[in-house]
Amino acid sequence: MINKLSCSAVLLLAMAGCASDPQPTEQLQLTAQSIAQAKAVGATTDIESLKQAEAKLQRADQAVAQQQFKEARMLAEQAELDAREAEADYLVGQSEVRLQELNKQINRLRTQLRAQQ
Amino acid sequence: MNSLQGMCGALLVAALSGCATSQDAAQQLQNAQASFEGIRDNTEVLRSAPKDVIRSGETLVRAERFSSYLGSSEDVMHYAYLSQRYSDIAKQKSLLTANNERAAKLELERQRLQLTLREAKLLTLQEQNGLLGEQMVNLVTTDTERGLVITIGDVLFDAGHADLKASANRTVLKLVQFLQLHPLRVVRIEGYTDSSGDTQQNIELSQARAQTVADALVDLGIDSKRISVQGLGESFPVAENASAKGRAQNRRVEVVFSDEQGRMGAAR
Repeated sequence: MINKLSCSAVLLLAMAGCASDPQPTEQLQLTAQSIAQAKAVGATTDIESLKQAEAKLQRADQAVAQQQFKEARMLAEQAELDAREAEADYLVGQSEVRLQELNKQINRLRTQLRAQQ
Repeated sequence: MNSLQGMCGALLVAALSGCATSQDAAQQLQNAQASFEGIRDNTEVLRSAPKDVIRSGETLVRAERFSSYLGSSEDVMHYAYLSQRYSDIAKQKSLLTANNERAAKLELERQRLQLTLREAKLLTLQEQNGLLGEQMVNLVTTDTERGLVITIGDVLFDAGHADLKASANRTVLKLVQFLQLHPLRVVRIEGYTDSSGDTQQNIELSQARAQTVADALVDLGIDSKRISVQGLGESFPVAENASAKGRAQNRRVEVVFSDEQGRMGAAR
């Protein structure tokens, strides 16, 4: 009973959504920017979340074309964060490679210094 | 108007199916709550990504509001998803900050060790000066069609191994000095062996010896981006392999320099 009630309430909300959700133009731009930013930093679609971001942005564009603005906004919002996550993941990966390289060089230097003594 | 009704009908279906997946939504909300709790009081995360922590909290509140009042599962899942992402991004940023701070410390340590090593090598060089003649150093520079080439002879390596002897210090220091005076020049370090033994093993040994020379340069402060390494095994002998003397000449590492602008000739 409660479920039915909440579902009809949802329907009302959904109808309200139909009337009021504007076209999410700014959000789509923001999403495209964050994807471009992740790529500019060096992330590629080998990173799962960047692949997701691109797929969701594409679906958001399709939703806009079909006037489904709420779905478009949600997809674009998620895609923006997917891309930002990809960027952060990529940078963390890079920093770990750098740390490994530094540790390797330092170990080698220490070995050489011991050999000099 | 008709199309609008049709669309709302479609949304109704979506909303109804949303009700069916409210369990998924509750699960996702719970996960997002757990993630947010994990970062909320972490000072490191707050320091590195304060905005993302705040956003994670804000979107979580929205998800909770949708779930406790009249919202659809779709909305709950959406805001729980955003909150989760913000938490994850905040965590990654904090990890990145920690890694970068660690790298800065290691970088200083590396520079300190490089300087110490260079001083130690110079010191041993001064001690050796009376003992070792130029022939031990075996430094040959030639100006062939490949440009400037410096040959590091076999005597500077432990026999059959890739390790450089202390007597190679002079050559290595000279190379470093030259590269520091000509910051645009890059080098290709090529290893060669004589024809005795297994071909594949010879390529590996020549590669390892060339890498050792590259490492020695990097250890003394030359940017590894300026150095490429190639193991060529027994190809391109400079003498016949019939005599011991010829074979010794063929066992060598050649350092090929680019021109003053960093343009490198073709690899062999």
